Amino acid sequence: MSTVPIESLLHHSHLRHSSRTYRGTRSFSPCSLNLRSRFTSSNKQLVLNSSIGSATSALGFRSSNSVAVRASSSDTAVVETSQSESDDVVFKENFPVQRIDKAEGKIYVRLKQVKENDWELSVGCSIPGKWILHWGVSYVGDTGSEWDQPPEDMRPPGSFAIKDYAIETPLEKLSEGDFEVTINLNLESSVAALNFVLKDEETGAWYQHKGRDFKVPLVDDVPDNGNLIGAKKGFGAIGQLSNIPLKQEKSGAEVEKESNSSSDSTIERKGLQEFYEEMPISKRVADDNSVSVTARKCPETSKNIVSIETDLPGDVTVHWGVCKNGSKRWEIPSEPYPEETLLFKNKALRTRLQRKDDGTGSFGLFSLDGKLEGLCFVLKLNENTWLNYRGEDFYVPFLTSSSSPVETEAAQVSEHTPKTDKEVSASGFTDEIITEIRNLAIDISHHKNQKTNVKEVQENILQEIEKLAAEAYSIFRSTTPTFTEESILESEDEKPEIKISSGTGSGFEILCQGFNWESHKSGRWYLELQEKAKELASLGFTVLWLPPPTESVSPEGYMPKDLYNLNSRYGTIDELKDTVRKFHKVGIKVLGDAVLNHRCAHFKNQNGVWNLFGGRLNWDDRAVVADDPHFQGRGNKSSGDNFHAAPNIDHSQDFVRKDIKEWLCWMREEVGYDGWRLDFVRGFWGGYVKDYMDASKPYFAVGEYWDSLSYTYGEMDYNQDAHRQRIVDWINATSGAAGAFDVTTKGILHAALQKCEYWRLSDPKGKPPGVVGWWPSRAVTFIENHDTGSTQGHWRFPEGKEMQGYAYILTHPGTPAVFFDHIFSDYHSEIASLLSLRNRQKLHCRSEVNIDKSERDVYAAIIDDKVAMKIGPGHYEPPNGSKNWSVAVEGRDYKVWESS
Amino acid sequence: MEVSVIGNPQTRLCRAELAYRELGFRFGSVVISGESRNKVTFLSQSSNFKDLSIRCSSRSVKCEAVVSDGVPFLKSTPNSRWLASVKLFVGLPLDTVSDCNNVNHLKAITAGLKALKLLGVEGIELPIFWGVVEKEASGKYDWSGYLAVAEIVKKVGLKLHASLSFHGSKNPGIGLPDWVEKIGEAEPGVYFTDRYGQQYKECLSFAVDDVPVLDGKTPMEVCRGFCESFKSVFSDYMGNTITGITLGLGPDGELRYPSHQHDVKRSGAGEFQCYDKHMLSALKGYAESTGNPLWGLGGPHDAPAYDQQPHSSSFFSDGGSWESQYGDFFLSWYSSLLTSHADRVLSVASSAFSGIGVPLCGKLPLLHQWNKLRSQPSELTAGFYSPNGQDRYEAIVEIFAKNSCRMIIPGMDLSDEHQSPESLSSPESLLAHLKTSCKKQRVVVSGQNSSAPVPGAFERIVENLKDENAGIDLFTYQRMGALFFSPEHFHAFTVFVRNLRQFELTSDDQAAEVETKTVNIGSGSGAPSLQTA
Repeated sequence: MSTVPIESLLHHSHLRHSSRTYRGTRSFSPCSLNLRSRFTSSNKQLVLNSSIGSATSALGFRSSNSVAVRASSSDTAVVETSQSESDDVVFKENFPVQRIDKAEGKIYVRLKQVKENDWELSVGCSIPGKWILHWGVSYVGDTGSEWDQPPEDMRPPGSFAIKDYAIETPLEKLSEGDFEVTINLNLESSVAALNFVLKDEETGAWYQHKGRDFKVPLVDDVPDNGNLIGAKKGFGAIGQLSNIPLKQEKSGAEVEKESNSSSDSTIERKGLQEFYEEMPISKRVADDNSVSVTARKCPETSKNIVSIETDLPGDVTVHWGVCKNGSKRWEIPSEPYPEETLLFKNKALRTRLQRKDDGTGSFGLFSLDGKLEGLCFVLKLNENTWLNYRGEDFYVPFLTSSSSPVETEAAQVSEHTPKTDKEVSASGFTDEIITEIRNLAIDISHHKNQKTNVKEVQENILQEIEKLAAEAYSIFRSTTPTFTEESILESEDEKPEIKISSGTGSGFEILCQGFNWESHKSGRWYLELQEKAKELASLGFTVLWLPPPTESVSPEGYMPKDLYNLNSRYGTIDELKDTVRKFHKVGIKVLGDAVLNHRCAHFKNQNGVWNLFGGRLNWDDRAVVADDPHFQGRGNKSSGDNFHAAPNIDHSQDFVRKDIKEWLCWMREEVGYDGWRLDFVRGFWGGYVKDYMDASKPYFAVGEYWDSLSYTYGEMDYNQDAHRQRIVDWINATSGAAGAFDVTTKGILHAALQKCEYWRLSDPKGKPPGVVGWWPSRAVTFIENHDTGSTQGHWRFPEGKEMQGYAYILTHPGTPAVFFDHIFSDYHSEIASLLSLRNRQKLHCRSEVNIDKSERDVYAAIIDDKVAMKIGPGHYEPPNGSKNWSVAVEGRDYKVWESS
Repeated sequence: MEVSVIGNPQTRLCRAELAYRELGFRFGSVVISGESRNKVTFLSQSSNFKDLSIRCSSRSVKCEAVVSDGVPFLKSTPNSRWLASVKLFVGLPLDTVSDCNNVNHLKAITAGLKALKLLGVEGIELPIFWGVVEKEASGKYDWSGYLAVAEIVKKVGLKLHASLSFHGSKNPGIGLPDWVEKIGEAEPGVYFTDRYGQQYKECLSFAVDDVPVLDGKTPMEVCRGFCESFKSVFSDYMGNTITGITLGLGPDGELRYPSHQHDVKRSGAGEFQCYDKHMLSALKGYAESTGNPLWGLGGPHDAPAYDQQPHSSSFFSDGGSWESQYGDFFLSWYSSLLTSHADRVLSVASSAFSGIGVPLCGKLPLLHQWNKLRSQPSELTAGFYSPNGQDRYEAIVEIFAKNSCRMIIPGMDLSDEHQSPESLSSPESLLAHLKTSCKKQRVVVSGQNSSAPVPGAFERIVENLKDENAGIDLFTYQRMGALFFSPEHFHAFTVFVRNLRQFELTSDDQAAEVETKTVNIGSGSGAPSLQTA
C-alpha cells in the first residue's frame, strides 16, 4: 500500500518552495484522498505484475474524481478536490528499501587441554544469532576432503546427524553474551582433524574459513590447504583472512614436513598445543523501511513539487540531482534549493530531510522547474550507508500530459480501440526497468554492501525478459499456424521413408498399457504378462507399456525411492529383464514407466522432514524444489506444478539431470527398455525432458500431461483449445522428442458419448478437437488408463461406450493406446478387429482425417480415403463415389468401413 | 593501462554485469567499512599482489575502474573487447507490416522488443517493403504501418535499422506494388526470366533500371522517389532512432540474380537469368559491339538445369565453356549488369540520403554452394565473375567503397562442418574471402546469419565476430518470430547475447574465486559443497 501523504502534508506545510497559488475549494477530505492513493497503488501493482501493463492506470486515473494535493506557501496544507480536471499528481510511488545493518563480531576457536588425552575444542561467536555448528571429522589415514561422522562420545548433547557425514550442534548462549559450543576430544580415538562451518539459521548464511571448512588439526600431518586453524604454520592468514592473497604454493619446509610425515605412519600428536584464534565476521541484518515519493505538477507555476517521505530512523540526507534532455545524468538544478541543502562538489545536491515531530521518520519537499524530466536521488544515512532502490538511483519522472510519452500515448489510444492501449502504457513500465539498467550501469558508487540487491535486480530483469519473451512467443505462435497444418506437411515430407523419432516411433505404433492398478497384487506380474506376449503381438500391438519398475513407497510404483533398485511388487529385476526379452522376441518394444517428477526420500533432515535421499543417487535437499514448503528443498523453484505427496525433484540442478540421464541410459542398457512413459510431466519443464530424451535416445516416449479441461457451469466447453494448447506447449518444449497422452480427446469423447453431443468431435476448423487435431504425430490417444479407470476410476470413460471410443482412436491419427483391462474383456474380439484393420490399412499417426459428419447423434469421418467410420446412434453411410466401401467392424453405435 | 568501464553507450548490459562483478570484489574484502568511501583498495589472490582499485568519484554518476598493469581484472584481450563492442540487432518479422499497412502481431512485437531491450540488444532491423508503402499507385506512399513500428521501437529505446526492400517476398506473400505488378502483366519483360521463360516476379530485371517502364518513370527514378519520401517522413527518427538504412539490391534484398528463382534447395548451382526482353536486347547489342553477333542470341546453351549437378554438363566443368572466350564474354556482360545495378541503386540512395548522417548498407549473398569447384558456379549464375581468376567481388566492393556504403554479409552462422559434403561448399572460406576484399577497400562489414536455423550457429557467429581483423561492428540476427521466442531458441539466444556482452566468463570466475576466500559468504552455499571443500 502506498503511504497516504496526508500527514506529511501537514508537516510539510512550513517548508518554503511550493506553489504560490491554489484554487478551488479548500476542503480536507481524507476519505477521498485515501481512496485515490489506494487507486494509485493498485495501478502500480497492476503494471508491475503484468508485463503488458494496463493503460487503465493512465486512463482510469484521469477520468476518476481526483484529488489534487498541493502544498502552498501559507502555513497550511491545501488539499483540493477537483471534479472535472485531470489530476496533477504525476508520480507516486512507495519504494521499499532495505537498510542493511552490519553487525561486526568475531568467531573464535579455542583448543584447551583438560587432562592428558582429553582436550576441549570450543567454537564461539560474539554476534547474536541462531548459530549452528555444522561439523564432522577426518580420521587418520583419510585422504581427500570428505567428512566423517565423529564418534558418538564426541557429540555434545543436542547434536543431530546430517546424513552420514556431518553433525549439527547448536551454539549455546553464554552468560557473557557469546555463543559457544564445546566439543570434548579424546585423543585416543583416531580423529585426525575436526572440520566445521558455522551456520546462522536466522539468515541461512554459512560462515566458512577462507572459502573452505574450518579445519582444526589434531595430528601433525594434516594437509594444509590454507584452512587450518591453530596450526603452527599459516597463522598469518588468520585474522586478516580474505584481504591477504592466499598463495597456494607451499613453502619448502611444509613440503618437507609432509613428505616426512607421510612416511611415518604413527600418529603424531606431539605438536598439539593449546591455542585461541579469533576471526572477524560480520553479519548483515536487513531492516525494511520505505520511501514514499509523490510528485505533482503545479499547473500555475508549472513547477514540479516532489515530496519525499520515509520512515527511516535517524538523519536522512537526500543526495540528488535532476535530469534533463532525456538523459539520466545528474545535473544541478537552478536555485533556489530547499532548506538545509548543500552543493556537493558541484555534482549533486544534498538536502537533509526534516525529522517528523513524532520521530517516525523524515520528510522533505522539493520544488523543481517544470521543464525538468525527472529527479534522481539516493539516500544517505551516514558516511558509509547509502540507500538506493534495488541497486538503482531512485528516479522520479515528471510526466505530464504534454511531456510524457506514456500519457500522450494513453490519451491518444483512448480514442482508438481499448486493445492497443494496453500495449503502450506497458512501455512505461519497460522504461522503468530500462532506467534501472541504465542507472545500474552508470552508477556503482551507491552499491555499497548491496550485492544482493544488484543480483536481485539482475534476476528481476532476467525474469522480466523471460516473461516478455514467453508472451511474444505465445502470440507469435498463435498467429502463425504451426501445428494445425502439421498433418499435411509432415505426411508430405515423410511419406517416402519411415523415420523413427522418439516422439512417434515408426509412426505406425499401437500401444498397449500392460497393467492396471491391481497388477502389483500378485507379486508376479512380470511373469503373468510374459505369458501374454505372443497374444499381444498377434493382436497387432507394437509397443508395451510396463508399470514403474523401481522400489516404491506405494506398491503400484509411482512413489519411487531408490531408482536403481528394480525389485518391485511387480517382480524382480531379473523377471523384468526376462519379460522385456520375451516381448522383444515377439517384436514388441517395451516402455518403462519413468517417474521423474518426484522421489521419496530415505532420510529426514534436521527438521524431521524427509528430503534426503539414499541409495546410489544419494541426493540431498538441493535436489528438491524449493517451493514446496512440505519438503524444505534447497533447490530452485519448480519448473512446473508440484505433486504434493513426495519431494519434487529439482531438474534445474545439473547433478540431478546428470544422474537422471545416467539412470535412463542404465535402464535402456540394463533392462533393455526401448522407451519411456513419463509420469506427471506437468511437474517440470519439457525442455528437461528433451534433454533426457536426447541422452537416452528412446525409440518411443510419451508423457503424461494431465490437467483439467475447461467447463462452464459444469458443462464442458466446446472449445478446448486452451487445454490442448497446454499439452502441445509441453510437447513443443520437448522439441517433439516425446509425445503426450491426448487427454483432450478423452475428455471430449466423454462429453460427446455421455450426452449424445457428437458435434463436439469437430473443432471450428473441421479438425479433431483434441491434441490429435493439432499435432497428430505427437498425440497418444487413449480412453482409459490405470488412474482414470481400473479400480481407481478417477475419470472413467462412459461405461458401455468404450468401443465407440476405440472405434474413434483406432481409426484416427495419433498413436492409439489400448488399456489392458479392455483387451482382456468382452471387447477382446472387437478391439482385435479394429487393431487388425488399423494395421491392414496402414493407418498411422499422421493419417489424414476428413470429418464427414458431426451432428448431435452421429460423428463420421474418412481417414486417408481408405477407412470410413461413424460413432453414435445416428445414421451414416460413407459416400458412394468411386470407392467401394465394405463394412470392416461393427458394434453398438459404431461402424467402420474400409475401401476395397 | 587505464580502462574505463563506462562511457560507451552500447554496452549497457555489460556494464551492469561489471557493476556486479566489482561488487563481488568489494564484498569480498573486509576493508570496506571505515575507510574513505571513495576508494577501495584490496588485494586479490588471482591478481598476484598487483594493486586493483576501484576509484569512485563521490558523485554518484560516474565511476571508473582503474586497473593496474597487466591485471586480468577484466580479461581485456583485444578479441573480447572487440566482441563486446559489436552492436547487436535483431530483425523484425518480414510481415511486421501487412500489405494493408497494419502492424501484425503488434502485441508480440512490443513484448519482444522489450525483452530484447532488457537483454541489451542495440536495435532492430525493420524490413520495409516497396509493395506495402507504394502499393496503390506510383508516388502514393503510405508509411503509416512502418511509422507506427518506428514509434514503438523508439519508445522501447532501441535503435532502428531500416531495410528498404524493392523486392517482393513469397513468404509472407508481399509482392511488388500492385501497380507495378499490373505493368508486369502487360509487359512481362520487366521481370527476370530464365531460359524456360519462367519469370521471377519478386524483383524487376536489372536491365530495366534505366528504362522508363513504370508509368513513364525508370525504376531508378521510382527508387529515388521512394528514398526521398522515406527520408522526409522519417526525418524525426533519422540519426537518433534510425541508425542505418539498407538498400535492397535485388532478390531478397541481396545483390544477385535470382539464379535459383524460388527454390534455393534445388541441388544445382542455379541458372542464368538473362532471358527477358531487355536483357536479351542488351546482350545482343553487346555481342554486336564486340564483334561476335552470334554470341548475342541467348545465354549459354550448355549450362546445367536447376536440378542438375553443376559439373554434370560442360559449362562449369574444369576447362568448360566458362573458361572459354565465349564464357568470358558472356559472364563479363552478365556480371557487369549486376555491378552497374549496384552502382545505380547505391548512387541514387547516397544522393537521396546525403547529409542525414545515417550510414547506408547493401547486402551481398553468401554463395557458398559449390564453391569448392574451380568454376564456383553459384557465383557465376548469381552474377559474380571476373576474368582470369581475379577477385570476383572486387568490382562490387569498389562500388560500395565509392558510395561509402557498408556491406552486409549473411551466413555468419554457417560452418563448413555442417555442410553436406556433396554440396562442395565452404561458407567459411568464402566469408573469409569477402572479409578480406572488403578490408582491402576499407568497406565496413556488418554481419547477418542465414535465416534458417543451423546447428552450431551461435558459436560460429561469435567466432566470426571475434575476428577483430574483419572489424565487424554490427551484427543483425534474423529474425524475430515464433521460433525466435520459443523457449529453447530464446534461451540459446540469451546465452549468445551474454557471451557477446560479458567480456569473458573468466572475469566472472575470478570474482567467484575471490569471494570464496572470505569468511563471510551469503546464504545459498550449502552443506554438500562444504563436504567436498
